[in-house]
Amino acid sequence: MFKRRPLQSKSEVWMRNIAMGFLILYMTIFLIIPVVIVIAGSFHQWNPLNETYKWIGIDNYIRMFSYPTFWQSMANTVIFCAVVVIFRVLLGLAIAYALNSKMMRHKTLFRTIFYMPTVTPLVAVAYVWKIMYNPQFGLIDNIFGLDINWLFDSKFALIALIAMTVWKDFGYAVILFLSGLMSLPSDCYESAGIDGANAWQTFRYITLPLLKPTMLFVVVTSIISYLQAYVPVLVMTEGGPGTSTYLSSYLVYDQAFKQYNFGFASAISLFILVLTAIFTVISFRVTGAQES
Amino acid sequence: MKRILSLFLVLTLLFSLAGCAKGKETAAASEGVTDTQADKGLEIMGENVKYDPNRLVNGGEPITIDWWIWASEELFRSIADAYEEIHPNVTINIINNPWDGYFTKLPLALQRGEEGPTLFNVHNSYENLVLNYMEPYDIDTKELTADYPSAASHIMDGSIYYADYGLSTGMIYYNKDLWKEAGLTDNDIPATWEDFIEVAQKLTEYDENGRMVRAGFNYNNYFYSLALGLNYQFGDNLFSADGRTCLADSDGMKQAVSFLTGLYEEYHIGDKDFGTDCEQSFYQEQSAMVFVWGFFVGNLKDNAPDLEYGTFELPTRDGGTPYAYYRYNGESTPGINRNATDEQKEVAQDFMRFFFANDEVQIALSQDGGLIPARTSLMDSEELKDTPIVKTIGDHIDRYAWPGAMPSTVENNMKIATEDILYNGKDVDDALKTAADTISIDLANIDFTSSESLYTYYEE
Repeated sequence: MFKRRPLQSKSEVWMRNIAMGFLILYMTIFLIIPVVIVIAGSFHQWNPLNETYKWIGIDNYIRMFSYPTFWQSMANTVIFCAVVVIFRVLLGLAIAYALNSKMMRHKTLFRTIFYMPTVTPLVAVAYVWKIMYNPQFGLIDNIFGLDINWLFDSKFALIALIAMTVWKDFGYAVILFLSGLMSLPSDCYESAGIDGANAWQTFRYITLPLLKPTMLFVVVTSIISYLQAYVPVLVMTEGGPGTSTYLSSYLVYDQAFKQYNFGFASAISLFILVLTAIFTVISFRVTGAQES
Repeated sequence: MKRILSLFLVLTLLFSLAGCAKGKETAAASEGVTDTQADKGLEIMGENVKYDPNRLVNGGEPITIDWWIWASEELFRSIADAYEEIHPNVTINIINNPWDGYFTKLPLALQRGEEGPTLFNVHNSYENLVLNYMEPYDIDTKELTADYPSAASHIMDGSIYYADYGLSTGMIYYNKDLWKEAGLTDNDIPATWEDFIEVAQKLTEYDENGRMVRAGFNYNNYFYSLALGLNYQFGDNLFSADGRTCLADSDGMKQAVSFLTGLYEEYHIGDKDFGTDCEQSFYQEQSAMVFVWGFFVGNLKDNAPDLEYGTFELPTRDGGTPYAYYRYNGESTPGINRNATDEQKEVAQDFMRFFFANDEVQIALSQDGGLIPARTSLMDSEELKDTPIVKTIGDHIDRYAWPGAMPSTVENNMKIATEDILYNGKDVDDALKTAADTISIDLANIDFTSSESLYTYYEE
């Protein structure tokens, strides 16, 4: 059992109190107060720009559940989240595994190349991809000899957003998996070698289980960030064609900052908050159960 | 070392705070000079709204005001410069904000009272967000409406908080070189939609594989904009008689939308996937004709200065005068911050009188924005009578309806509906019904009544 170490001196106590004080103040101002305001706002017809604030009970929630665009945006968000997370993990793990191999040369160069999209501003990347998707002069149709209006065809628009997001973000997973792989104990691999395990068996029964904490971190942080994704939609499709690429966070942005229905947007935000919390708990539970 | 570092950090913090305080002080003080000469020997401007430049504002003491805009910085700067030349004690800071987010930032800035801008540009679709913070003009409404007839529709409780300095609407822009290349002349300018289709077919080109290489007509990203107003040609208004309900799913609107989709699907004079941005496509000479509002004149000047283009009015179904060709909207005059200081408001009121009375200001505004001047007496001026919009539409602007300062929900939801129809293959009736229902919910929360019933030919 972890035993608490008594604080050494008065100055240490002061230091702790100051640090905790700032942290509590920060969390109160930037987290607790906004969440309370959003909870209260979700029960009001609320537009802070013309100072409208009228109690309407649960009307915003009733409207939310009967609003077709809400359900479409939730379905899009689940698809977007699931596909991007799967590709991010698979690509990230595969490339990290390759980069960690003893046969691999110029590791630093490849690490830099793969990480470069991650550090490039998202808005800039989204604009470049928007041009690449243009059906008349875009790179993608011209290179592959296709005739697809990527961002204006509801069959392809969400796929186009997913492809851009995977390209932009897989480097983050590469770096995390690589650091995870580099920290794995070598004696496990030596034992496996002595026991005659082949490459696949080593990966399946040693590498993968040992990488589980990294995997959990990548999956959970990805889910949280993709439930909040709206910049690619804003830049590339504005939710269109029609509402076919609305993601839940873009719907919040649209309702709050384009339609000025802050109360309705607050209700949707709270729903997303609860959903994110549920996903996170499930992820922890699943991994925890597997570990035990 | 630690002490030196701590001292450095504390000093940095203090300098930063001092820097902020200084900035605030600078904003409050003025960069102008004291003006002691009231009578400058200048002529009194204006017809009914008059402006006497031979008097001092703010007693000639230096004063600074901020003016928020979202576009045309050079133009508004030149107007401010002309005023500052008369009143050297006044400094007008032009603050150009991007359009995206302008109407989120502006009300919040105005809530800060005198720290907000004294003058700010207004778009009438966001009237409900800023009206609470606006001071009415200190100008007699009769004088103002005598010069600017459309100002009558902006009278609220006997006062005018903002009016129109120009009227804008949509037109067909055509590429003159491509027109000539297709063997067309000025006599081919179509009066009916039937003629229009014939002309557009001559301008449309395909390659050997049957792929479109030039669209005869392109309305892609302005489908919703064209549909919202074409309903008049198909027999229905945009709003109900009481002005509270948007008739986005009326029979007239359904027919207008079906007609427009038919131009692509039945007559193949354009394509939803060819030139998704019709303005860009026109610059690149990939679309021979496009439908855009008057502001496109300015965009063409900046982005395709060498492109030879002409304009013509929207055709009609039988070539005769319709109930209304289409709709128009006004470009709004700046608003005055109700919570500015008395001195700032005095300057702003004086500036607005100058703004309304000065011919050169009004002419420059109409030329730059591709507008019909709201000050009707300027319509025949040498500078404006040959501008594309005045030449094309000026004679019968009375046959364009103004549905009122439509809240943004109308355009936003019509955009969704028309994209659903064009790109997602959604049924016209279903898409327009969804739009009408959503607009109704939004309008119920807004104090809006359409001005459509004020249209001259409303009873027809």
